[in-house]
Order: sequence, then structure tokens, then C-alpha cells
Amino acid sequence: MGAPARVLPWTVGLVAAVLALGPALGPGYVLRYDMLFVPGLSLPTVLAGADGFPRAIPSDAVVAALSLVLPGDVVQALALLAVFTLGGAGAFRLLARLVCGAGRVPGPVLAAGAAAGTAYVWNPFVAERLLLGQWAVLLGYAGLPWVVWAVVRTASARPAAGLSGLVCSLVPAAVGGFSSVVLSALTAGPQALAGPRRWRSAGLFLFALVLVSLPWLVPSLSSGAATDPAGVEAFAARSDTPFGAVGSLLALGGVWNSGAVPPGYGEPVTALARLLLCAASLAGWAWWLYRAPPAVGTGLSVSAAAGFGIALLGVFAPGREFLAALIGLWPGFGPLRDGQLYLAPLALVQALGLGAVLLWLLRALPVRGGAGLAADTGGTGPAGERDRSGLPLWRVGAVVFTVFLPVVVLPGLLWGAGGRLAPVQYPDSWLAARDAVAADDRPGAVLVLPWSAYRGLEWSGEPVVVLDPATKLFDRRTLWNDDLRVGAEDGGSVVVTGEDARAREAARLLEPDPETALPGSGRSRDPDALAELLGGLGVRYVVVSAPVDNRFWSGAETLSPVVEESDMTLLEVSDQHIKADKDDISGLEVTGGLVTVGAIIWSIARSGSSLGFQRPQPRTGRGARKEIPK
Amino acid sequence: MIKVIAACVIGAALAGGATVVATSLATESTATAEPVNETLYNYGDR
Repeated sequence: MGAPARVLPWTVGLVAAVLALGPALGPGYVLRYDMLFVPGLSLPTVLAGADGFPRAIPSDAVVAALSLVLPGDVVQALALLAVFTLGGAGAFRLLARLVCGAGRVPGPVLAAGAAAGTAYVWNPFVAERLLLGQWAVLLGYAGLPWVVWAVVRTASARPAAGLSGLVCSLVPAAVGGFSSVVLSALTAGPQALAGPRRWRSAGLFLFALVLVSLPWLVPSLSSGAATDPAGVEAFAARSDTPFGAVGSLLALGGVWNSGAVPPGYGEPVTALARLLLCAASLAGWAWWLYRAPPAVGTGLSVSAAAGFGIALLGVFAPGREFLAALIGLWPGFGPLRDGQLYLAPLALVQALGLGAVLLWLLRALPVRGGAGLAADTGGTGPAGERDRSGLPLWRVGAVVFTVFLPVVVLPGLLWGAGGRLAPVQYPDSWLAARDAVAADDRPGAVLVLPWSAYRGLEWSGEPVVVLDPATKLFDRRTLWNDDLRVGAEDGGSVVVTGEDARAREAARLLEPDPETALPGSGRSRDPDALAELLGGLGVRYVVVSAPVDNRFWSGAETLSPVVEESDMTLLEVSDQHIKADKDDISGLEVTGGLVTVGAIIWSIARSGSSLGFQRPQPRTGRGARKEIPK
Repeated sequence: MIKVIAACVIGAALAGGATVVATSLATESTATAEPVNETLYNYGDR
């Protein structure tokens, strides 16, 4: 592989990252929906976690570990950069490997790779998940092309080499956590079963998945988490273009949250252009499958179809009923409720398909087995360099235009999605509250009020909905309302019950006013009685993280303000009431985490490379044959 | 080689121009509304 083939993939990913993120890469924290980074995230607190399914493990643990040596906003910028850079480079290199194997990459394949890389990181799926703040899911998404190739390589590698390549390629999914691992399994699992030496490949892949999942798998087994079937209705895919839910999903959009749709996305002209690009990409994939099926042809097609099918389940009433029944049967089916997530393999198929369109435009036909380009299509044989000077110039221009086409039809993602990803600084009052709690060595939890998870922060001048930063700001167990309230299309709302048992208990004692979500009835109306109730729950501090009119703590002797500003009030509960336990992490969970870290270190050391693409393996078996299509 | 580079530049310029047109189309259309001044915020609205 020459220098252009080594450098260009990363360049494509990096350019896409800068164009998409823009201001988000500057100083400050980008806060939006689930994207919540705080200064100095506490590692012990993250590891101790909360009750319920450990969704923030290990992504938050990795962020907290990196925050020990880097400022939190730099960690966030690196995480977001990694999404685009890894994803773009991965799709680029996957296409190059599928066409050329480990050989030299000719110019047409470089162009096709650039198109695939751009399409993979610049599509509605990435835009909507980014605007929903799901950076950890996107990190797993970025790793998918690397995982797919690692599975292909496993078939021809020794078991230890195959396993190390797989674990190495799963590092982004390992960081991303549960959803990322599920996406990896969906995307590369069928390939493991469809390729040569299927049972060995599938076994190694499954083992690698378990290895990287231990940090969240072990605590989840004892969490007793339940999944509310109401989430099926709340998180089902929806239409965000004029082409209905099915058309929206085919175009890789259709996320449940209307607030996560890029600006102007549903506008008919650009939506139609976007749909046509998807159709052309799928046609390109079909053409590639017909001419010279790539090594991942069957596996990836099955993954994309299965993912699309899962996404469709939530669109129709019988599908939703089926999903709700499944979740009622076993909470482990809960992740299927956000069906649009499973479009990820379809996004990879479309990205590779756009690359195939470029190969077709350049009359550069791949040959079977990833042995380069066919000699009778202008190449000089397998892995040969095509003479570009022989190309009509209009076609060269069309190729460059096509590489940028994903950006043209989705301009809403440009420059931080039109400014929606603007970084902000934490107000001094918030940092003062954090420091005050950190300076206190006595045990006891923090309770966050109003009793509602999401805030409309106006730190940038515009209200941005985000998970309350107070839920992660403090270096101790935090109790907050993890119920998810989703506005329905008919103007009502659906409440998806949270999973934290202690939070449920707190809610029962607080009896919050439905209008203000502040203590307002029963015993909690009396602030001293409230302090006693909270102390019994082990709460030492109460944080009021929004401007409120109801100063329920006024006149209380056992709730004393430590910080009192307009949108941040920190109250200390009198010591006499507090019955606090120290949150500990179990030995089994520590062991699980250490096994995963050890496996990743072993895989990286053994591969001597990043993510498994660098080191060519000797090709054996059918894949090594050079065939010229008839 | 110069002609190839020129063709690349033209292709990129066309893409840039098309992006500007698409952006203006997008911004003229109804933008995604951000919730404003709510007492309590939903996780999201369908």
C-alpha cells in the first residue's frame, strides 16, 4: 500500500470532521441531549455507577480517565474527531482492501474510497445521532468498517492473530459500550457466518465481543434492570422527510426525536436529492455484487437487510406490538425499541455502494477476491494503476463532484450542524458548587432538582436541551429522575420509566409537584421534614440546577445554602439526618474491567498496529485467486 | 496533469456551489424548532 493509500483515508476523515464539527472543536463543552461532558469527571464515581443498566460504562469511565490528564473539553473534541476520522478512514480502507487486498491501490480505487469514506460519515444517521448527543454510539459506528475487515481477515489468520485483530478493531465499540457492541455484532456477525471457516470465525468473533463487553456486561447481570415497553412507542422511527417513515429510513434518517433532525433536512429538494443518492448507492452495491462479489457481499447485505427490518418494526402497529411483547417477555430486547439505530450496516452498504458507483464511472471494474481492477477495463491487471491521463476530463470532474455529493445533499451537518453544536463554558456558580462538594470528605449523595432529567440551558444565548449537567458534575453518587418524557405527535407525552431504584424511592418521598418538579406536597412541603427524608436516603447535598420560583428551602434550619445563584443552588442537609453508605465497586466488576483492558493491550501489542488494518496477512484459499470477469 | 488538476478543481467548485445552493434552500425552509422557555423539558419531541 503506497503513501497516498495510507494518508488519504485519514485525510478524508479529518476533513469531514472539521467541516462537520467546526466550532465544536473550539474551547468549551458541547452540550446537547445525551452529549454531556463536564470538567473533571470523577472516575471513581463513574465506576461506582448507579442502579439500573450501566449505559454510561465504559464510555464515561474512559472520558474520566482521559480527564485526569487532559481538560474535559479537549477530551470531548478528541472523541468527536475520532468519530469522523475513524469512520471515514475505515470505510475508505475497507473499500480499498475489498478491491485490492493488501496490494497497491490504484487511483480509481482511491477516488472510490474517498467517496465511501465521505458517505459513511456524512449522512443523516450520523447527523441525527450527533444532534441527539450519542457520541459513544457513533464511536462504535465509526469502528464498524474496521470490525468487518477484521472478521474477513480472521478466516485466513491463525486463531490468536485473528482474535487480536478482532479485539483491536472492537476498541471503539468497547469504549462506546452496550449499543456499540450490539451494532458491531449485527454488522459483522452475519459476515462471520457467511465467510469461509464460519464456525471458527463466528466463535472468535463472539469471544472477542464478550471480552470487550465485560465492563458493562458484569454489572448488568446483577443490576436487575427492567425495560419499560412504553419506550417502543416513544423511540420508534418516524418520518423526517416527505417520503414517509420507510423512505426516511432508506435515506438513513428517521430518528425518533424531531429536535435531532439537521436544519432544513426535510426540505423536499434536498430530501429528494438525498434519496436519489441512496438509491444510486444501493444500485452501485448491487452492481458490485453482480460483477465481482466482494468478500463482505453476502454478510453485509444480510446485516443491512436485518437492520432495516428492525428499524421498520417500530413503524407499523403490529411491529410495535411485537416489540412490546418481546420486551415484556425479556428486558434484554429493550435496545430494539430505538430501531433507527440499526440502520448502521445499511449506512456502510450505501457508503461502499457509492464507492462502487465511482468505480463504474471510471470504468474500473473490480475482480473477484479483492485482487485489484480488471485488465480489460483500462487497468493494467490486478492491482494495476490506471492511466488517468486517458480519462475524459469531464469524468474526472464528475468523480470529484461525486466524492463531495454526500455533503451537497446534506448541508445541514456543515459547521456544527449550522451552529447547533456550539461550545459553552460552565458558569462559575456551577464550578463553585462542584468544588464545594468535592471539598467535603463526608459520605452522602447529591440529589438533583427539579425532579426532571433534561434542562433547557441558555449558556450560549439559545436554549439547548441537554441532560442536566448536575447529574455528572459531582464526585459522588447522584440521585436524579431518570424517567424519560417524550413528547408525542398528538401533543401528549409518553413517560418511559427509569431504571435507578434509589431514584424511584426518592421520587416516592419527594412527591414532586407535576408542574414544577419541586417538592410540593405531603411531608416534603416542610423543608425540615424534607431534609430528614433526604437524610434517610443518604443525601448530603441538594442541587437545584435551574431557575426556580419555589424557594422551598427558605426558613429551613436543616437545609443550608452553600451556593445560591439564579440557576444553581447547592443546599447542604444537616449532618444529624444523614445515613450515608459508601458506594463501592465489586471485585467482580473490577476483574471484568481489567480483563477487557488487558485484552485490548494484548491485541494492540500483538497487532503492532491500530485497529487491525495495518498489517497485511498472507492470503490463502479462494480469496487469493485472481479472476477476470467474463 | 494540469488538466486533471483543473478538472478536480472544477468538480470541487461545482460541489461547493451546489452545497451553497442546498444550504440556502435548507435555511429558507422551516427550521427544526428548539423548545423555548418551557418549565420542564422533554427528552425530545416526536
